[in-house]
Amino acid sequence: MNFRTTYRVGFLIVALSICVVATAQTPAPAPKAPKPPAAPQVVTIIHRLNGLKMFRLLLRSEQVQSIDALDSAFNLMDDVHTNVIAGLAMDDGETIAAWLPEADVEFGPPVVAFPAAPRPPKSPRVFSLFDGPDVSVIGADGKQVPAKYIGLDAATGLSILRLENKNVVSAGVIKDEPVNSGDSVLLFGPEPVTKTRPVLARMGAIEGRVENVMLAPSGGIARFKVSAAKLSKANIGGVAVNQAGDTIGIIDGLEGNEASILPAALIKRAAQRVLERQASVPRPWLGVKGEAVAALKLDQIQNHGWEMTRAAALVGKHRGILLTSIVPGSPAERAELRAGDVILKVDDKDIQTADEFTWWLEQAGPSSSVEFTVVRPDRPVEWALNVKLSGMLDQWSRVNWRSRFPSMKGFWLIDQGIETIALKPLVALQLGTTPGLLVVYVDPVAAAFEAGLEPGDVIQTINGKPVSAFRTTPNSDLYTFEVVRKKQKRVVKVPAKKK
Amino acid sequence: MRKTNCKQIRRELDELMLGEAWSAVATEHLRECAECREFHVQQTKLRKIVGSLGTVEAPADFDFRLRARLAKDASSAPIYWRLVRGGMVAAAMAVVVLMGLVVVRDAMRQGENPGEVAQKPEVHQPVKPDQTPPAVREEKQSDNVVAAATPYTIRKIRPAQVDYKKRPLSSFAMSSTRASVLNGTEPAGMSTAFPIDSSVQPFTVSLEDGRGNAKTISVPTVSFGSQRIVQGGNQFAPKRDW
Repeated sequence: MNFRTTYRVGFLIVALSICVVATAQTPAPAPKAPKPPAAPQVVTIIHRLNGLKMFRLLLRSEQVQSIDALDSAFNLMDDVHTNVIAGLAMDDGETIAAWLPEADVEFGPPVVAFPAAPRPPKSPRVFSLFDGPDVSVIGADGKQVPAKYIGLDAATGLSILRLENKNVVSAGVIKDEPVNSGDSVLLFGPEPVTKTRPVLARMGAIEGRVENVMLAPSGGIARFKVSAAKLSKANIGGVAVNQAGDTIGIIDGLEGNEASILPAALIKRAAQRVLERQASVPRPWLGVKGEAVAALKLDQIQNHGWEMTRAAALVGKHRGILLTSIVPGSPAERAELRAGDVILKVDDKDIQTADEFTWWLEQAGPSSSVEFTVVRPDRPVEWALNVKLSGMLDQWSRVNWRSRFPSMKGFWLIDQGIETIALKPLVALQLGTTPGLLVVYVDPVAAAFEAGLEPGDVIQTINGKPVSAFRTTPNSDLYTFEVVRKKQKRVVKVPAKKK
Repeated sequence: MRKTNCKQIRRELDELMLGEAWSAVATEHLRECAECREFHVQQTKLRKIVGSLGTVEAPADFDFRLRARLAKDASSAPIYWRLVRGGMVAAAMAVVVLMGLVVVRDAMRQGENPGEVAQKPEVHQPVKPDQTPPAVREEKQSDNVVAAATPYTIRKIRPAQVDYKKRPLSSFAMSSTRASVLNGTEPAGMSTAFPIDSSVQPFTVSLEDGRGNAKTISVPTVSFGSQRIVQGGNQFAPKRDW
């Protein structure tokens, strides 16, 4: 054997030994886990808010009457916040359902009369500063496509969007799949990959287990709960998918370590409601707060004026909803319901839980009449009461916004469909305008909209008087607003809304 | 006294965030002390440089997953696999020892026959890179110079011949492109990371709530899920409220 041959053999031996050592160091193969299902129907929604919408959001959050200072980089037209949340591509290839947390800045007055027809704007005019909702959708392939915001389904809290082009994201079939306790599910939702700029995100998933399935009184599933590790509010809006990859629901709330899931059938129904109207659909509103008698202790019922034996009888029957407060001016107050009353039935259906009460009110729908069977602490017999429900989009109407306009006492701009925030002098200077009331929203069906008032305008005087001068309602059929728009003074004449 | 002041002031400057205003005492001191001014300038430059670098963060459950994997490696491997692995290590060691012996023997023989070494330069003609495609070239070379080729030759010419692509290393920071997925599940087709356009800095506003209370709030540029960005915000479909 000469040197070259020996060297070649040696080289082969070295290579072989390296392979052997490498194999020996390789850990034992892990037992194969079942491949998780793909869920291309889960998309990511990007909802951007510009400065003006952010002001509106602050106004609606009860935190603000006036802006005192702003950071130097602020601009009304610039995007100041981006919300990233999961969405569900429905099987028609163009509808997306998502639980957008800031959806309330995108629609009009919270309390709406509920006509059969939607409320289209009288004018096709589009505001320069309030170009409508800025939403887009990112599909499973990472491509971003534009979408149009159609409306909110207030009963479920779901926002319904429409893709501008059909079938640009993968849509999954949404079946009314059975859900059973103990089932394994995956909860999909976008999550940040990097915290530094540029912000990267990707669709992630966590495993969960169905703990509890609540059946609807009229059949089907009303809600179900899923337990999972590391649940947080960031998971709300996430899409629940079963092991076969089928959508089974959207997370609409958290209760401790459990996520409350809105089932697929209710998502489909919500989308139908909004698409039929092509606008937001309010939820039925009675104007009460309460709790199921079955969930209360005897003394809690007695605290609402119930005598002990009758309270014990109520607790023993596990029936009814005890009303703990009534909203002034609400349908409940108009029907003379009082705190302490117990609603036993809705349209002859016995009520035992809060979820059942919610269910039957939602089945009745907004602007419908329902018949309650009621008992009262000082009235020995139960009686029937007809109540006409109204509709409500969100909780904002419950805010006592009138008290936030002390300088405008008696003159409720909000009644004219105009939402404003006061600007302090320094802020006005920064925004290149003058102190006054910054218009953050104008209802597209209000006379002010028709007259040409726009979000971004700063109201300086009304009928020739500074806005701060009003202590009583100006008694006039026509309001003349002197406003500043893009550093130019303008006059906008708005006919008063007829009461 | 001055030294103590410098120390205190530098500590304060050190603890400040970039762009954060310092105290009146520090301002006064900086006006007088050139050394501290220089210190502050240098420190600010350094922070800006460091701040401009992107950070790489491990996934939130990195620690948990690492521990779990270590524990799994130590305990969960099947017994037969451990035996096989032990045997393989022993075999590998034996082969290495054997190879060492062969190499030593060759080295000794090489010393005995220097004429063979003198012939090497004739054989080691590097092949021109543009002769053939890389994958084919190695085969041709082995055909042509099979008698003369040595490991030295291969080692020298390989980088020039082969269009060598750097492979991704196992230590590549995957955390910068992937988010954590619990239990190691990675849904097929759902792992594409995508950029989110957002404003550069958080929106900060000072406001009055109408009851004489003033406050300053800062809104993050990006939020995920339904985390409300302002307190006391709206609530959709509230419970126990009809």
